[in-house]
Amino acid sequence: MDIKNSNPKFMVTAQQIFKDFEKDERLANKKYVDNLIQINGIIGHISYENGMSIIALKGDNDISSIICQMLPEANSNVLKLKKGEQIMVKGICTGYLLDVMMVRCLITNDNFNEK
Amino acid sequence: MKNRFIILFVFLVASQLFSQEKYLTKEGYISFFSHSLAEDIKADNYQVLSIIDKKTGEIAIQLLMKSFMFKKALMQQHFNQSYVESYKYPKAIFKGFIIKFNELESQSSTVEIKGILSIHGKEKEISTQAKIEVLKDQINLSGNFMVEVADFDINIPVVVRNNIAKTIKITFDLQHNPFK
Repeated sequence: MDIKNSNPKFMVTAQQIFKDFEKDERLANKKYVDNLIQINGIIGHISYENGMSIIALKGDNDISSIICQMLPEANSNVLKLKKGEQIMVKGICTGYLLDVMMVRCLITNDNFNEK
Repeated sequence: MKNRFIILFVFLVASQLFSQEKYLTKEGYISFFSHSLAEDIKADNYQVLSIIDKKTGEIAIQLLMKSFMFKKALMQQHFNQSYVESYKYPKAIFKGFIIKFNELESQSSTVEIKGILSIHGKEKEISTQAKIEVLKDQINLSGNFMVEVADFDINIPVVVRNNIAKTIKITFDLQHNPFK
């Protein structure tokens, strides 16, 4: 799937998608997994590993978050971000462990060129 | 099946209550590698959840099959839809012990890990050597082991049977930090 040029199937807040998984994982899997989802949330932390960046958006509590594995082309934009900032991330949902997991993510804020 | 999830859930909740003894990563790495004369296939998962109880040496690992990233999108699709049936069995789970964890004498050594690996709804006892590093605020585990595809009831269609190895190499690199 062309993440950059495709429209998200659902647009949700980090709290909402987290709540959906916490309430009924099976139902949330059906709704979100394998689909392109756009999530609006606050950055909890950012980490870099193997040339890849990972953004965790704050969920409903201190333990759980939305973990977004970013595409390599998002790296230059991720470098401009800081903890506590509100951002919009678009990517594919893979499911739920302690956290909601997203892969192949891009940032879709208006002030970035990726939109 | 359901009971196992409840047990794991209780274990996770208990982890949160006795946090100072638990070490955790949510961004652990596990890959698998299949070698055949026709082709090599590798998939990487950077979203592995792993929890170690420092008191008992107990370890619980969970990952989503759909978080395995392949080079070719079509391979990833076949893997999830036809082979491991991720829609039915979304997670792989390992639950076991680091043997003699409390008798480790040096910062860095080799340990044996023993436990039950569950993939595609099938359980298999696994025992493997791993490199362990116990630092002040970190426990690192790394290594690899082999699994038989047939042990997990995974059906590979005859037409691609020559492209996929019967024995798959699993590599892991898990860097745990104290659970805050």
